[in-house]
Amino acid sequence: MDIRKRNNVNVTGHGLSTMVFAHGFGCDQSMWRLLAPAFADRYRVVTFDLVGSGMSDLGAYDVAKYDSLHGYAEDLNEIVDEFGTGKIIFVGHSVSAMIGMLADIKAPGRFAAHMMVGPSAAYINDGDYVGGFEREDIESLLRTLESNYLGWSSNMAPAIMGAPDQPELGVELTNSFCRTDPDIAKHFAKVTFTSDHRADVPKLQTPALVLQCSDDLIAPRSVGEFFEKTLPNGTITVIDNIGHCPHLSVPGASAKAMQVFLETAGL
Amino acid sequence: MPHGLPSPPSTDLAYEQAACGLLTTDSHGRILKLNETFCGWLGYSTAELLASRLPSLLTMGSRIFHQTHWAPLLEIQGSIAEVKFEMRCKDGRTIPVMLNAIRRVHGSERFDEVAVFVAEDRHKYEQELLRARSAAEELLKKSTAAQEALAQAQARLDGESSRQRAAAEDRALFAEQMMGIVSHDLRNPLSVVSLSGHVIGRGALDVMQSDALGRIGKATARANRLISDLLDFTQARLGGGISVKRKPLALHAFVRDLVLELGAAYPGRTLTPGAEGDGDCEGDADRLSQLLSNLIGNAMTYGNPQSEVRVTSRIQPQVFELCVHNDGDRIPDNVLATLFEPMVRGPGVKTIGRSIGLGLYIVQEIARAHEGHVSATSTEADGTMFTVTLPRQVETPARI
Repeated sequence: MDIRKRNNVNVTGHGLSTMVFAHGFGCDQSMWRLLAPAFADRYRVVTFDLVGSGMSDLGAYDVAKYDSLHGYAEDLNEIVDEFGTGKIIFVGHSVSAMIGMLADIKAPGRFAAHMMVGPSAAYINDGDYVGGFEREDIESLLRTLESNYLGWSSNMAPAIMGAPDQPELGVELTNSFCRTDPDIAKHFAKVTFTSDHRADVPKLQTPALVLQCSDDLIAPRSVGEFFEKTLPNGTITVIDNIGHCPHLSVPGASAKAMQVFLETAGL
Repeated sequence: MPHGLPSPPSTDLAYEQAACGLLTTDSHGRILKLNETFCGWLGYSTAELLASRLPSLLTMGSRIFHQTHWAPLLEIQGSIAEVKFEMRCKDGRTIPVMLNAIRRVHGSERFDEVAVFVAEDRHKYEQELLRARSAAEELLKKSTAAQEALAQAQARLDGESSRQRAAAEDRALFAEQMMGIVSHDLRNPLSVVSLSGHVIGRGALDVMQSDALGRIGKATARANRLISDLLDFTQARLGGGISVKRKPLALHAFVRDLVLELGAAYPGRTLTPGAEGDGDCEGDADRLSQLLSNLIGNAMTYGNPQSEVRVTSRIQPQVFELCVHNDGDRIPDNVLATLFEPMVRGPGVKTIGRSIGLGLYIVQEIARAHEGHVSATSTEADGTMFTVTLPRQVETPARI
């Protein structure tokens, strides 16, 4: 199996340690374009697309495998083994923060540190735990996804899959960074927003930074507080940002918080 | 303004009453400016919406989509088009809307210019499409299930027919075994009949009794031959072939004696022996008697009763031949082709004589057991000739 092709893996930067960046639900690795370059002079930088997103191999999307985040965690460990050198620092946005956590628990020792950008251990409110959503909100999201993917047609797939020798194909596509097969998008949305890994959080012994936005619909402050209480070796940094993508809206502040954490951790 | 054209409303009025909702937000989505059209659609006053955030007007599903798709796309691309959201009106109704947005920088500030279109009709149309799609998917699922059921049924049938075939083979095997057992067991009562006939023959008999006893003797002999054919047949079919014991054989004398002996059984018919060549031969005398008596019996049954049946033994350098010839009707080619298969009977003969169609099969099996073969030719002019060709000696494989 060609992991580079499956996950559209890209390697840049130079350094003894490797930073592996994983995007969240919605778009693809282009989300890191404002943040990752800040680390490229000191670290080897690996970015990739989750299977089913971006320019990953949609043919590799196995509904059974990706019916939980564990399938993605297996992929991540394979990517780390093949493309990582030296110490591995994992940067995961949103759902990918949990994918990194599961990958670590599967094979402890692989990662030197986790940096979680807007993570959530569970999205649906449950008793005292405020994830931010009710079950019907997820249904509502699935309907929105469905109507927004109406314009997606299967004959666009080759263009989205990216023919490197025909870049003009990609230019004409609007919203291409967030396009994928509608059925995959729906399934991924369902798997993401119904996931509940609160019980796994205490198992993560590796040092972890939680980058919490001051106002984030997807990962509200209450979720950040849950991580602060539950992570055995966690550090919470709150960034002044409205929204779920601080690495895009405030890349400078995000990079700064990460660098502080890395220095403290001696990485 | 070009001459002759009416003067349009002011730009301000055109903005306020545009055919779409128009908004300007800051990069956090806070509404800084909006037009009357937008306010009218949602049922709010301008003052109520100023400084509120665009996502707060969306349903929850749309808000998540706004966070996970809209916001990053706008950051990456600087513009976004044709995103469909549901907006909540002041009275609680929701309306489907399409949004386009473009990000502009004025001085040090970034602003998003947003155009909003009500998409009720499009929404309904899309709902129809989605319903049609799920109906189609449902049908596809049913059709797939039907195909799977069909494939399973086919597999069951295939299994069934192979089971039936195996059962038929079992039945055939059983029938052949049965035939062997029954034939064997019939020999005992027949030998009792035959022996008792001899005993009765020693006493004084009148003519009628003597004739009846003769018929008993012939019928018993025929039944015995039938049984030994059946036993040979089952032996050939099930027991790996007929066994022979090869011994030196004075071929011409053997054939001449046999012809004399058998000739007595066919009163009124002429059976003529012939001999060609010289040399030593080997063969199983009992089996070769059986072979010749089968061929001669056939020649008597099917041949022209007015003509002689000629039996020739011919010794050649490597092989010897036993030939049985009769005149009479030609055997058709299609019959000739399958003549040596079991249960095949010559044309025009129903149940006369002893034939149940095993004779020639046994002839062939005996020839094979001698590492030889049998062939038949039949023409109108030359009559019918069966030729059995056997090696004079079978070399024992050299031992190493």
